[in-house]
Amino acid sequence: MGLRVEGLVKRFGDLTAVDSLDLAVPEGSFFGLLGPNGAGKTTLIRSVVGLCEPDEGHIEVLGVPAWGRRGAEARRLIGYAPQEVALDRFVPVREALELHGRYFGMSRRDAVARAREMLATFELEDKATSYANLLSGGMRRRLLLARALVHRPRLVILDEPTAGVDIELRHDLWAHISRLHADGTTILLTTHYLEEAEALCERVAFMRDGQIVTEGAPAELRGRFGAGRLEDVYLRVVGR
Amino acid sequence: MSAEASARDLRRAQWRGVGAVAEREILRVLRLWKQTLVPQVLVAVLFIVVFGLALGGRLDGIGGVPYEQFIVPGLVLMGVGTAAFANNGTSIYQARGDGFIEDPVSSPMTASQLLLGYLSGGIVRAAIIGVGIVAAARAFVVFPLVNAGLVVATLLLSGIAFAALGTVVGLYARGWEHQNFVGNLVIQPLVFLGGVFYAVDDLPEPWATISRFDPIFYMVEATREGMLGAAEVPLGLSLGVTAGLAALMVLWAYTLFRRGVGLRT
Repeated sequence: MGLRVEGLVKRFGDLTAVDSLDLAVPEGSFFGLLGPNGAGKTTLIRSVVGLCEPDEGHIEVLGVPAWGRRGAEARRLIGYAPQEVALDRFVPVREALELHGRYFGMSRRDAVARAREMLATFELEDKATSYANLLSGGMRRRLLLARALVHRPRLVILDEPTAGVDIELRHDLWAHISRLHADGTTILLTTHYLEEAEALCERVAFMRDGQIVTEGAPAELRGRFGAGRLEDVYLRVVGR
Repeated sequence: MSAEASARDLRRAQWRGVGAVAEREILRVLRLWKQTLVPQVLVAVLFIVVFGLALGGRLDGIGGVPYEQFIVPGLVLMGVGTAAFANNGTSIYQARGDGFIEDPVSSPMTASQLLLGYLSGGIVRAAIIGVGIVAAARAFVVFPLVNAGLVVATLLLSGIAFAALGTVVGLYARGWEHQNFVGNLVIQPLVFLGGVFYAVDDLPEPWATISRFDPIFYMVEATREGMLGAAEVPLGLSLGVTAGLAALMVLWAYTLFRRGVGLRT
């Protein structure tokens, strides 16, 4: 299994952000996590990547427990592009990619070569010596995705990677993500664009109030709910 | 890959991460040299010129040490301490505020490895400033260097203590005012009351006794013993307090990293 979550609970004071959540993402699959703001998607993701400590439950990344003694081993397998554009403004783009690779255990030589490859793949070569805070919004999104992939993770988690980008760039990012999936990488994607989920994901899960409400392949869900579009399914299962 | 080889591979990966964090922190110090290095050296030189040279001639020496010599060790310690504190406080708070600290925090590094990487920046900045102040002071004042090893050990331990304290403040801070509060209203008074400019024994009571509860007094004393061979307290005590404070601050910072304070939700 690419990702297994069992009985996950995360509370912030009186608010239960994730409530006894179970999720299984098959290895090599492209999985979408959908739901309104505040459904608990980001909390779930941050629990997987080691940035939000669960109160209860168990998380496994490719068979390795994400918390506890083997947490470091699990974190090495994950590439994460957060929803917020959080980039180091004190180092140039090329160096940001190299540093990320080295944070995740690559040798300097490998990190340099891989950063060069990522700059070319994401058409950031011209900006290699620029600082992240001087890049356009679209370039920052590309850099976030490139950074998540530098260390060749086996599970890539993308939290709204196309939020606020123009249509052309969105299609570019889709192409990059699809190629990644074709190479066998397990992908977990959250998005508010249901056409994006429909176009990319093999399976999707709908979240509301910290729980998975329903899950399945997009076509299967459309059939189950007698809906023409995934958006109609969304409105039925998580709409208020 | 066998379990043993896999564990070895993970350890190597983690240490590469430490090297990368340390390099990033040190490069930040060097790239921002106008903000991170020059001011502290300049302030120390101004103190030496104004207090040591302009006013020092009107003062008797302290404990047989000419005044312009007497203030040099304390000024070096003051530069090292404030630089190490400011470095880690600022760097970690900025990284938290902008969110990019999550990149190394979500990496395979352990809490102690992350802390080691972050402390490196403060310690290197403190070392450069320490050397800079000693070199600049030499241009104005002739002073001996009785025990260079003791000076290096004391300044290193002091740099570690202040860098770790900066890390703690950087992790707790919810705004720049918190940084400034600790820097201006805690560290600065303790430095000035720590006998940088005078012998604590010359203070009237209760200030002489109160000053002996100031840990920075012992750091200054150990540095002064190493540089000038003169001190008000036994070396074992001053070095012991300095080492103890460094250990305590590192333990505090480590506990916060381990619990994820300011790093994880």
